Amino acid sequence: MVSQQQIEAIGGVLNNKERPLKERFRALFTLKNIGGGAAIEAISKAFDDDSALLKHELAYCLGQMQDAQALDILTKVLKDTTQEPMVRHEAAEAMGAIGHPDVLPILEEYKQDPVVEVAETCAIALDRVRWLQSGQKVDDSNPYASVDPSPPTAGDKSVTELKAIYLDAQQSLFDRYRAMFSLRNLRTEESVLAIAEGLKDSSALFRHEVAFVLGQLQEPCSIPFLQENLEDRLENEMVRHECAEALGAIATEDCIQILNRYAEDDKRVVKESCVIALDMCEYENSPEFQYADGLAKLDATK
Amino acid sequence: MAELDDQFETTDSGASTTYPMQCSALRKNGFVMLKSRPCKIVEMSTSKTGKHGHAKVHMVGIDIFSNKKYEDICPSTHNMDVPNVKREDLQLIAISDDSFLTLMTESGDLREDLKVPEGELGEQLRLDFDSGKDLLCTVLKACGEECVIAIKTNTALDK
Repeated sequence: MVSQQQIEAIGGVLNNKERPLKERFRALFTLKNIGGGAAIEAISKAFDDDSALLKHELAYCLGQMQDAQALDILTKVLKDTTQEPMVRHEAAEAMGAIGHPDVLPILEEYKQDPVVEVAETCAIALDRVRWLQSGQKVDDSNPYASVDPSPPTAGDKSVTELKAIYLDAQQSLFDRYRAMFSLRNLRTEESVLAIAEGLKDSSALFRHEVAFVLGQLQEPCSIPFLQENLEDRLENEMVRHECAEALGAIATEDCIQILNRYAEDDKRVVKESCVIALDMCEYENSPEFQYADGLAKLDATK
Repeated sequence: MAELDDQFETTDSGASTTYPMQCSALRKNGFVMLKSRPCKIVEMSTSKTGKHGHAKVHMVGIDIFSNKKYEDICPSTHNMDVPNVKREDLQLIAISDDSFLTLMTESGDLREDLKVPEGELGEQLRLDFDSGKDLLCTVLKACGEECVIAIKTNTALDK
């Protein structure tokens, strides 16, 4: 059992602006894994930080925890137009991940938001909550510990069939996400390369989710595609950030070299993502057991 | 019949001695290759996850032949090699002067290519055999290696 005192101490690391960002991220994921009201409170405190990357990750973690206690803070963040678009987007996505029907009216309202990433996220989150409400069931062979913004597509479809839905801009983003998660769950080179094609889509939100999924898959064949979007300085920074973190998860020597080149990017969120990604490379390539090592670090300082 | 024939192969026929399995699908008491050795898993734990939902699995295994302890950490979605392990109980008929066992299979065929195992187990085997016990030898075969890993008194025979 983790004590209140330990949670506060780890929250102290997360909220300490003097600590290196990578350490604060590891503290955040430790709190996410601990869960419960005290962890949510410690995470919520950091929304006044000046790092958009950190704040968006707070919202992501609150969604992954799937605890309705986080809905108040997430709603507040979504409504707060002084928060960066990627932070508000992540808050909306997190509300969808929690999946509680109470969020339907607010998501409906912000589906009309002038910020397109926020509006699109609300539409997908609405579809997810309504899908859950409909009581439909689908076989989800998600091999990763993630709550996805949509279920996979129902039934057994071929890569060709899934890819046709996935790349069809006439379909809803929710249905295209569903096809993407089915392609992800297949985990073949063919399905990974089909997913990589989505990095050329016209929706920045879609491209960023593609990059996230390629990070989950950790297939070196996707490196050149992720590299291209990261290196494109005209690309949306939310997409560039997600490409950097995906390269961090793949963690080959090539990835490390690319990330080192952008660790001083003039876009702060890209730069910080590269720093976090390089820390992830270190973890992936080491015998280190826990990435979210906040508890072990506390023990070590005793 | 194919399976029976396999048991009489004395060399590797090129048939795969291991097969891949996703790390997260491995279970305690199952088999896995650790540091290129066929092991039985005695301990397994999974790490918590970071952003992409990846976990690492820590495994401790005991070499099924040497009883040496090995450990490894592997991403949960990676494949590990699992050895094809064959286990057979053979009846002990005789022990030769140069320490080879004469063993009889269930179908009555004899084989004389396995030695008395090293260490305590071997001593116990000789002791029990010399005192007239009917012994069954448990033979494990994996990765081209084969040896007696346990003995038990044959209770199936009428005394």
